[in-house]
Amino acid sequence: MDDEPLVRWYWIGDHLGYLGDLLADHAVIALVPVLIGLLLAVPLGLACTRFPRLYQPLAAVFNIVYALPSLAVFVVLIPYTGLATQATVMIPLTFYAVAVLLPTTVDGLRAVPDPVRQAATAMGYGPWHRLAAVELPAAVPYLVAGLRVAAVSSISLASVGALVGRGGLGYLFVDGFQRTFPTPIVAGIVLIAVLALAVDLLLVGARRLLAPWAVREKGAGQ
Amino acid sequence: MIRFDGAGKRHPDGTVAVEGLDLDVPTGRTTVLVGPSGCGKTTLLRMVNRMVEPTSGRVLLDGTDVAALDPAKLRRGIGYVIQQAGLFPHRRVIDNIATVPYLLGWDRKKARARAAELLDLVGLAPETAKRYPFQLSGGQQQRVGVARALAADPPVLLMDEPFSAVDPVVRAGLQEELLRLQSELHKTVLFVTHDIEEAVRLGDQVVVLRERGRIAQLADPHTLLTAPADLDVAAFLGRDRGLRGLGLRPAASVAVRPIPGGPGDGAAGRSPHGVRFAGWELMLDDGRRPIGWIDRDAAGAALEPAPGFRPDADTLRAALDAAVLSPTGIAVALDPEGRAIGTADREAVLAALATRPPSANGARQAEKAEAATGVKAEATTDATAETDGAGGGR
Repeated sequence: MDDEPLVRWYWIGDHLGYLGDLLADHAVIALVPVLIGLLLAVPLGLACTRFPRLYQPLAAVFNIVYALPSLAVFVVLIPYTGLATQATVMIPLTFYAVAVLLPTTVDGLRAVPDPVRQAATAMGYGPWHRLAAVELPAAVPYLVAGLRVAAVSSISLASVGALVGRGGLGYLFVDGFQRTFPTPIVAGIVLIAVLALAVDLLLVGARRLLAPWAVREKGAGQ
Repeated sequence: MIRFDGAGKRHPDGTVAVEGLDLDVPTGRTTVLVGPSGCGKTTLLRMVNRMVEPTSGRVLLDGTDVAALDPAKLRRGIGYVIQQAGLFPHRRVIDNIATVPYLLGWDRKKARARAAELLDLVGLAPETAKRYPFQLSGGQQQRVGVARALAADPPVLLMDEPFSAVDPVVRAGLQEELLRLQSELHKTVLFVTHDIEEAVRLGDQVVVLRERGRIAQLADPHTLLTAPADLDVAAFLGRDRGLRGLGLRPAASVAVRPIPGGPGDGAAGRSPHGVRFAGWELMLDDGRRPIGWIDRDAAGAALEPAPGFRPDADTLRAALDAAVLSPTGIAVALDPEGRAIGTADREAVLAALATRPPSANGARQAEKAEAATGVKAEATTDATAETDGAGGGR
């Protein structure tokens, strides 16, 4: 890379459509697992709050998967899902999302002040109804905080998938290293950062919309 | 009526929260359970809406064992107010209040209309409806808590130290509000507090509990303050229970001397009216409202405050307080507009103290009795009988 400049702008100009496709692919690979993870983590979290004995074993399973190196998990899955399919990457990412979102869901549900829970019970909410109608909405700020972590980490991990054929923007890293050509690498890093930032802003906006009551509560020292 | 029929609670670890209580909570009246922490008062309260299941005995609501009722349905018919209000943080005030109507399946419009009514009933401004709980003060949150408990117009109201977490001034306001509400609504209120002052202020009957939910005394507030069952109860009531008892008796029995009409020889330019008492003169403004006392014998003396009381609304305690605080020992009797209508010196107030009140109850109790005629006598008899029973049992 002696004479190679960090960025060759013409390359970027020539590959705008390609970069756009990779970005879209990356967003799908990274964010669909977070959505599925949310859809799994909420009911699991509700169940773990209702039946606390479930929580530790469940959390342990997801944490162990989370602890495994992502590349190793991808490789293990290839015989079942095939090379270069999105599922190979998305399945582990879904596990990671749940590993992050399950504890935040449970913490959020448990963080509902006791008087609130008691008042809800005393007014005639059954246990499940109360969880869904009172504790879950009150846990939204926690859920969004968990989603922000899960989304950003998923966006970053998805690029590793390029090594097994599906990694969205991660492919730019593989390409750049193989050709000792830094431009795609820089483009990939910038696009991943932009994607992560955009998703994060979106989630902050969603929190303001879904939980307007929580925006100033933190500052009020409640 | 709520009846505790030997209701007891033993925890799985063997500790006894409540040994077994027999108590009648009369319909349309306020019964206060008061006692030190750990006396089982909250446990007893929660037996009524099945948030605690008794391990012995029963709790009957209008003759039906609550254990036979579906908990959710039972609870929707019982208002419940707790110390920290427990408002739902994610719902606006109006929807917090409408919680039980929503649960009962009312349509949204009707539930919100009812909630708006209640907002007004508990003395909150209509614009409060759109706020979130965190935007309210502690006192306002508590008012919303009361409104929420009343939303579906339940006949029974359980209140667990509802005013303990707010400052004394706000607390007094909330207590006043509850008395006003109760004089209009006549709910069967079971109220738990550790504050004996609050108990005698709010209760038609007060149940003093000792540990493990045993009744130390059951009486109306006046009897409690003047005739505590034993030394323990007397100690719990505190040293100034005699004075507090005066807080239950109307100031109307104080003989008020009318103030002579017409302008006095007030200080030039300061007041057109004045009434002389020995060396002192009571200064009144144009509207005959007292401004203060001035010492005529001391040259250049400043005005001193002229404490007053309202014979139609205040208690003997307020009258005595005014007389004690006055530099002349003379309290000014005021009409509802704050105009001086007369004076009462310390002797006049003390003379009123010496006369026994006609009934065992004070002004407020008498008012309530008028509002719910017939229930009164019965409740007092019950109370006496229960007290004797408890005394004999020990």
